Amino acid sequence: MQTTFSEEQLQDPAIRRSNDILRSCVHCGFCTATCPTYQVLGDELDSPRGRIYLIKDMLENNRVPDEKTVKHIDRCLSCLACMTTCPSGVHYMHLVDHAREYIDTNYKRPFMDRALRWILAQILPYPMRFRWALIGAKLGRPFRFLMPDARLRAMLDMAPKHIPPVSRNDDPQCFEPLGVRKKRVALMTGCAQKALNTDINDATIRLLTRLGCEVVVADGAGCCGALTHHMGKTRESHACAATNIRAWTREINSKGLDAIVINTSGCGTTVKDYGHMFRNDALAADAERVSAIAMDVSELLMQLDLPESDDRGMSVAYHAACSLQHGQKIKTYPKDLLKRAGFTVSEPADSHLCCGSAGTYNLLQPEISAQLRQRKVRTLEAKKPDVIAAGNIGCMMQIGSGTGTPVLHTVELLDWATGGPMPRALQQSRTANGGDVPVLK
Amino acid sequence: MRPETEAELAEMVAGLAQPVRIAGGGTRGVTGPDADLSVTGLRGITLYEPGALTLVARAGTSVADINATLDAEGQRLAFEPMDHRALMGTTGEPTIGGVVAANVSGPRRVQAGACRDFLLGVRYVDGLGQVIRNGGRVMKNVTGYDLVKLLAGSWGTLGVLTEVSLKVLPRSESSATLVWSGCDWSQSLKLFSEALASPFEVTGAARLPGGSQMKQTTSETVIRIEGFSDSVAYRVGKLAEMFNHQKPDRIVTDAAENEAIWKAVRDVEPFADTAGNVWKTSVKPTDMLRVVDQPGCTHLLDWGGGLIWTLAPEGVDLRAALAEVPGHSTLVRGNDVEIARFGRFQPEPLGLAALTQGLRQRFDPKGLFNPGLMG
Amino acid sequence: MEMPLPDPDVISRKHRITTRLQQVLPSDAIIYDQAETRAYECDALTAYRCPPMLVVLPSTTQEVSEVLRICHQEGVPVVPRGAGTSLAGGALPTADCVILGVARMNDVLEVDYDNRFIRVQTGRTNLSVTGAVEDNDFFYAPDPSSQLACAIAGNIAMNSGGAHCLKYGVTTNNLLGVTMAMMDGSVVEIGGAHLDAGGLDLLGVICGSEGQLGVVTEATLRILRKPEGARPVLMGFDDNEVAGQCVSDIIKSGILPVAIEFMDRLCIQACENFAKAGYPDCEALLIVEVEGSEAEIESQLSKIVEIAKRHNPVELRESQSAEESARIWLGRKSAFGAMGQMNDYMCLDGTIPVSSLPKVLRCIGEMSEEFGLPVGNVFHAGDGNMHPLILFDANKPGDLEKCEAFGAEILKLCVDVGGCLTGEHGVGIEKRDLMTHQYGAQDLEAQMAVKDVFDPNWLLNPAKVFPLDVSATRRIAAE
Repeated sequence: MQTTFSEEQLQDPAIRRSNDILRSCVHCGFCTATCPTYQVLGDELDSPRGRIYLIKDMLENNRVPDEKTVKHIDRCLSCLACMTTCPSGVHYMHLVDHAREYIDTNYKRPFMDRALRWILAQILPYPMRFRWALIGAKLGRPFRFLMPDARLRAMLDMAPKHIPPVSRNDDPQCFEPLGVRKKRVALMTGCAQKALNTDINDATIRLLTRLGCEVVVADGAGCCGALTHHMGKTRESHACAATNIRAWTREINSKGLDAIVINTSGCGTTVKDYGHMFRNDALAADAERVSAIAMDVSELLMQLDLPESDDRGMSVAYHAACSLQHGQKIKTYPKDLLKRAGFTVSEPADSHLCCGSAGTYNLLQPEISAQLRQRKVRTLEAKKPDVIAAGNIGCMMQIGSGTGTPVLHTVELLDWATGGPMPRALQQSRTANGGDVPVLK
Repeated sequence: MRPETEAELAEMVAGLAQPVRIAGGGTRGVTGPDADLSVTGLRGITLYEPGALTLVARAGTSVADINATLDAEGQRLAFEPMDHRALMGTTGEPTIGGVVAANVSGPRRVQAGACRDFLLGVRYVDGLGQVIRNGGRVMKNVTGYDLVKLLAGSWGTLGVLTEVSLKVLPRSESSATLVWSGCDWSQSLKLFSEALASPFEVTGAARLPGGSQMKQTTSETVIRIEGFSDSVAYRVGKLAEMFNHQKPDRIVTDAAENEAIWKAVRDVEPFADTAGNVWKTSVKPTDMLRVVDQPGCTHLLDWGGGLIWTLAPEGVDLRAALAEVPGHSTLVRGNDVEIARFGRFQPEPLGLAALTQGLRQRFDPKGLFNPGLMG
Repeated sequence: MEMPLPDPDVISRKHRITTRLQQVLPSDAIIYDQAETRAYECDALTAYRCPPMLVVLPSTTQEVSEVLRICHQEGVPVVPRGAGTSLAGGALPTADCVILGVARMNDVLEVDYDNRFIRVQTGRTNLSVTGAVEDNDFFYAPDPSSQLACAIAGNIAMNSGGAHCLKYGVTTNNLLGVTMAMMDGSVVEIGGAHLDAGGLDLLGVICGSEGQLGVVTEATLRILRKPEGARPVLMGFDDNEVAGQCVSDIIKSGILPVAIEFMDRLCIQACENFAKAGYPDCEALLIVEVEGSEAEIESQLSKIVEIAKRHNPVELRESQSAEESARIWLGRKSAFGAMGQMNDYMCLDGTIPVSSLPKVLRCIGEMSEEFGLPVGNVFHAGDGNMHPLILFDANKPGDLEKCEAFGAEILKLCVDVGGCLTGEHGVGIEKRDLMTHQYGAQDLEAQMAVKDVFDPNWLLNPAKVFPLDVSATRRIAAE
């Protein structure tokens, strides 16, 4: 597409990058077909092509963002299905990130909106604060009808029934491999996940050490920055990212790392983008190195010898997290691994569509999010699975809140299949169903 | 009037003061009080490129000539146009212009498409004597409005065709027919539906009537497969397997016999030399069961049940009986009294009739071409 | 591109028209803010742009009819829009128009396997029509490259084709009936689940009328049983003309493949980058696909391969798996977008007699040198429908004009060798001014007479298809 940035505007590296992205778009419209919000709303403005147009207009004219432009960009899930579909290689992620940052800097949101975003930014990335918030939400749930805003109600609804105690496995330390050491990897233990579900990291550590990995939880590493990044709060997100880059660089420089392994794909997408985020920063080289060895846990597992197993008589509907399938282009590994471990794997119709979780999206856009959850749950349940598996805590929470079928992380199933304990969600399902529990052959 | 060239035809039309009846070979039974304007003087194939599957011919060229030319290159008109002579009791040579003007297709229409689907371009003279071109000679063409389709099946009411270009296809190497005798209507319909919903590319699904007035006493439900010999053999086998619950009575593989069966369907031969009106009804195939309900009538089915030829006693208003069934009926054969009584074509709903009248008025402002025909 | 001057009287009544439309539509179905209408200023042809006055997004035939009735009364031009994927500017707005988008009308209304049809609202995408029946092994045959995103409404308006129409035909051959709202708000039903028209073939003229005769809101489409199997073979040649000759020989042999696609070097590289389909590195690539049972495929492919071998191919490879076939087609179907990775492009759509392929390709190559703009060629070789993609730099002053002039020369050449301006994309705005090269004044007059009947005030999709000077008297008379 033609663009009309002035020479002066193009001096700004962020504008230059956005110009390159816009120039590569041919406006063919393929992206509209796989955009979840366009499916729900049917308005071009709520599709990637429409948003690209709004962003282009805003940036070219150096315009103060108007309410409507902000509305449509806020509605973007950042699921990046459009990037999978785009034949022209338009890097929508970097463009929308730039737009969000631009909006955060140049647009004054209404008070309630600002307050909510501030609260989320102050709580979610900090596991301790988040834990207390969840406990508060649980206590506050009976009073949800008093809440003046649908988004506040959504926040109360999100708090899980079971809030796990802190897992000491998430403290900085080193887990020795069982048997011969094949790799030394750093596990990113994350932020929100630690407060919502400690089983995933526990299972990951058991599984990786069992398969010959020395697993390090690096001192100082924390939130990847994605949650604030997607709200356009670049200062906060870069601060988180920089902390991580330093923590992992220390590990790389001391005992070395074969991989930084991430079991929350939303975070993985961001860590893999550190190189880009810090391209004009003093940390550029370190960031690049961190991004280069960052991998999703399924990528690492494909390099390890996961034992092959006969059919276990258990059907798994695999939900592909957007951050994994679109953000990181990892589509087959989790399914391959589950099959290898003896599970029967199915995928729902329209597997490319987002479940509506998308970081803080389910909290900020509860109506669209609920419609997407409904679609996703319907298509998953149509496969009549024993369990649903996903590789991202956000999706697990979102889908779990809409279905009675147990929802697990892929690594929990793989851990169980290779000798770990039965995943908690299955145990709970046993209690709920009076002892009728799937048997692992 | 029988012009020899397009220019001459255009000049004649420009000078017309009275309405005319446009005629090709005069085989399709359209008669009227007006003088004939014959296009049989415009004849000859002007272009034939077998490698591009394209043939262009002047409107008065006989279908027989075209068939012979195509045959020499192993090709054919895939839409298998019907020859009306036997049914209508007419003589003369059917022309390609007549085929197009009446959008005449045969049994293969159900799979390959109708005459209009193979029509790539037309030249015609409008009611002011102007020569108009639309479409062309290439297979894909969306340049401007598709008047080609509009002219196909317009029975000369919008203009006098002078030249048509057609897409042609390779002739099949062989064919075979599965035959069931004496099915009831529902059984025939079920056979059609299953066969046409199979992946075996059925190119004909028809039912020839049986009965005391007919040549054969029991009806025959017939399903045709065409293509390369090994492929035909394979698909016939698969179909026979599919119809294990209702085995065909015989499978015809002889070329001449196959041709005879499908010519009988195509030309509605069982109704030749009979008394009574002949109606042609198009409905969705499952609605066929509502059509064959009429007392005193005999029916021949084609297009998997979607096309019903009905031999009805004079005075029976088939159209009225089918008022609730979506589709349309044409009174193809009937004496002048019957035609006057029922009308040859199905009257259109008001909204569409207004459009039709508007188009005729624009294309033929003086009302010269086939007045009274088509509503 | 010249457009008629917007009617200041209509624009001055924007508020009142908006208010009237708000009475018949939900509030989120009307877009009037200039920040928002801009996103509707063009379709997939971005060289020409103009923000509309309003955009409406109705959900039912009733709402479409009400919108049209109001616009008719107010004398407001209406530009119907499907998914906005037209490469010919078929949905280009005028400044005084209402864009009528059908994207929200995407329901399946009826599926009937016994009678082999599906009835859908026309905002449904082409591929999702097949999606609705594929579990029962049926499909909807026309497959334009944009089938993932393009709407049936647009397919009908442009009479869209696709790679597989060599065997299955284009939209008009697979369309059985429509529900259409006329400009005055009345609704007509044309055709249905039965075959052929009882009177004039109005359906035939509506299909391909580029949204200028009415707004089709529902369509009855023929669905077909999927073949037992299908397999493409890739053939690489060192010379375009040899590839063209090979196509002609295959067709003459009596085999009718379902698709014969051609790509030249530039396109091969772009598509390979995107799809990783294993396309060979050569001057010309053919993708030839046949269908049937395993044995039938084998037998047809062996005949085709034998013909190809006579032309000394540098590569001859049959697809080995369903995944590989899917990748081969993904590459081909993404060709336009993939070319976008190289530069801006203008995509042409002329059709030529298959026998003229070598000559036309040679001429395009020569013109490319002359104009100094590279061209990639990708096209449906079996039916002569070419898609030369002229690469240019939209940000470089003068480049677009040069590209337009080059494009016009190519299209004139197509007409001169016996072909036409557009095989499947439609005339739209892009080829409007070339219409007089293909058709004489009387030919265009006959087409415009049809519009006079359906839309006497010339309000639907204005300024498309017919050159402005040719349609001037009608447009002025209608005002």
